[in-house]
Amino acid sequence: MASKGPVEGPSIGFDFSNYARNQYLGQTMGGLPKATSTGTTIVGMKFGGGDSGEEEGIVLGADTRATAGSIVADKNCEKIHYLTPNMRCCGAGTAADTEFVTNLISSNLELHALSQGKPARVVTAMTMLKQYLFRYQGHVGAYLVLGGVDSTGAHLFAVQAHGSTDKLPYMTLGSGSLAAMAMFESSFKQNMKREEAIALVARAIRAGVFNDLGSGSNVDVAVITKAGTEMLRNYEMPNERGVKSRNYKFRRGTTAWTKEDVRNLLVSEEVAVTAGAGKLQDTTEASQGMEVDA
Amino acid sequence: MALFAPPPMYADPTMAADKQHAFNPYSENGGSILAIAGADFTVIAGDTRQSEGYSIQTRYARKVWQLTDRCVIATNGFAADGNNFVKRIKQRLEWYEHAHQKQMSIKAIARLTQTMLYGNRFFPYFAYVILGGIDEDGTGAVYSFDPIGSYEREACRAAGAAQSLIQPFLDNQIYFRNQTPAPGAEPFVPGRLPLSTVLGLVIDSFTSATEREIAVGDGLELYVVMKKGRTTDDLVGSDNLIKNMQVQELGALGEGGSERTFLVSLPLKRD
Amino acid sequence: MFLTRSEYDRGVNTFSPEGRLFQVEYAMEAIKLGSTTVGITTPYGTVLAVEKRVPSPLIESSSIEKIMEIDAHIGCAMSGLTADARTMVEHARVTSQMHNFTYDEKIGVESCTQAVCDLALRFGESVEDDDALMSRPFGVALLIAGIDEKGPQLYHADPSGTFTRYDAKAIGSGSDAAQQSLQDSFHKQMSLIEAHTLALKVLKQVMEEKVDENNVQLAQVTPEKGFTILGEDELKRVIEGLAA
Repeated sequence: MASKGPVEGPSIGFDFSNYARNQYLGQTMGGLPKATSTGTTIVGMKFGGGDSGEEEGIVLGADTRATAGSIVADKNCEKIHYLTPNMRCCGAGTAADTEFVTNLISSNLELHALSQGKPARVVTAMTMLKQYLFRYQGHVGAYLVLGGVDSTGAHLFAVQAHGSTDKLPYMTLGSGSLAAMAMFESSFKQNMKREEAIALVARAIRAGVFNDLGSGSNVDVAVITKAGTEMLRNYEMPNERGVKSRNYKFRRGTTAWTKEDVRNLLVSEEVAVTAGAGKLQDTTEASQGMEVDA
Repeated sequence: MALFAPPPMYADPTMAADKQHAFNPYSENGGSILAIAGADFTVIAGDTRQSEGYSIQTRYARKVWQLTDRCVIATNGFAADGNNFVKRIKQRLEWYEHAHQKQMSIKAIARLTQTMLYGNRFFPYFAYVILGGIDEDGTGAVYSFDPIGSYEREACRAAGAAQSLIQPFLDNQIYFRNQTPAPGAEPFVPGRLPLSTVLGLVIDSFTSATEREIAVGDGLELYVVMKKGRTTDDLVGSDNLIKNMQVQELGALGEGGSERTFLVSLPLKRD
Repeated sequence: MFLTRSEYDRGVNTFSPEGRLFQVEYAMEAIKLGSTTVGITTPYGTVLAVEKRVPSPLIESSSIEKIMEIDAHIGCAMSGLTADARTMVEHARVTSQMHNFTYDEKIGVESCTQAVCDLALRFGESVEDDDALMSRPFGVALLIAGIDEKGPQLYHADPSGTFTRYDAKAIGSGSDAAQQSLQDSFHKQMSLIEAHTLALKVLKQVMEEKVDENNVQLAQVTPEKGFTILGEDELKRVIEGLAA
């Protein structure tokens, strides 16, 4: 009887068909492959408004280190992800999940804006994120700081991988969150000026960069106001590599070889002229046809 | 007779003693150590960061210690065990000096290290140990150990968090692995590199490890042990030194083996 | 003398009012009953010589063992209750093996001697926890000969646990005369052959029988071969040299 194979699932969403196999492999081979995780410092804060004399806005900040175990996988990655022109989202947790989930929600927000004929609100993005993440019960390991400005004002949310959200005037997430929070707890004030806010965010990220081993390298900052977003990529670079004391250029011929085989990549072929195929062909040019040797 | 008797505790599957909380006496404190032997000197180095998980416990903790006029020890792994091991070694060294009226040779210290490590075969010191110094013939010597005392004399050795990053580099640069000499040129001989080259390799090893290994950084302490009578011009007062590098001579510990030990320190990245 | 001793020679660890430990002093006396033993240091090695008393022609003289190896570079000769020396030599052997095991180097001659002497005073009335305490002092003295990085050396270790380094030393029944004669003939630049000859000459002086290869034994520690007991042929050659 011809029946549908059990592995054939729906055409959208995750495919769990290898789950049992991978559990078994994980047991017998001593652990499943480790995903790149962004041991991270990400922060966000509101500024302006009140009697500051400045319009309100959001400053987001992130370090740029990506790690795989204790190895630095990327020294200058981007953790402030684009959602819409007036919304950005900082991601901590599993790198692939933060990238994928922000990308997906970014698409959906664009569709949403198109169908509604107006820009999506920050709460909408937050709701879409939490609903998606809740569905996967924390298995999609994205921990996010969402910030943006919409028709209702400047908003800042934290979204946890399990789907819970917080709305706060300042927040920190990731392995460096405690170091960063120390800066906010000591220095945050309501209605700070834009430059003050940027300086505080940068200081919070630096606290993470220098005191948390999971965070490092550079400071990225994004400033969002009604006018739009200013991405201050590598706003600070306090960890540039010094010059090496020796140079490691090898003499040509350093690598030993066992045999030499020189092959001509040019292949010439004979093209026979056939009659009745339209125009008369120029045989001299046709013989110069180039093909890569297989 | 009671109509209802509660089942014994062990009969309740949820109360079964399947959850055990074992006390783990060890931790891993990151960092890396490295030693390279030359013809008439040895360089032993370690970074000064001490960490646990994602936290820095201190940016300055020693991993390298001068034992005698001609021997320096470096430990890596669990800092408490490493420090304690060094303390015990120093005590044994003192006893030995009193009993035998001489400083222990690096060869003897190496063997003593083995017996002390193996003595804890079933509750090991979680410490990777490297000894560096000058042997009885005045040649640079490096001995490396595993936590239970297996040891070997080598031309160079890296251990710790960045071992997998540094050792292949050393194999290439010190043992000349995967390098063919130019046609007609002298064959490569390990253990003959000049001090300036070795210093450069050690410093580059640590600055590079700092780039890619989160548990390495903050500072570098580098000990240079020189054979008696050897020139120190290539270390002291040479201008081709790295900036921020400090060199200081450590005084003799015994009554004049006249080998000389220098401590070179320089900062590493702190992120 | 016997009267003044009173009760203070009963307990092995009891001082007399004059501050003496009689049992230790008696032990020293026991050595004076032993056969004469001589040691001589030269720049080329250290020589040991002993007189073997063979009171009966039925004794197999080779079974009398008064010179023993401690390690490849250390040997010793004894005088007194030679059975006691077995304990000391055993301890010295274990100590030098332990040293070699722990430090991957030869033990120093002085350190080895010290180890033997550490044992000498471990006697007394045993207390409950005290394991293997000896009942009396050793009744033997050792001449320990060896070579280390300080060169050839000779030590004398006695039952009091004291050790002294000598260029040349004689112990045993004929030690007074022998020591005097060593003092007269010893010089610092002696060759090994000269030392062999001097050692036997000194023994010859104090022995009742005529010296032959059965009633003396010669050993040496040299940088090249370490500790060796001289074979019968070599011994005969030295004895022949004596007569000449």
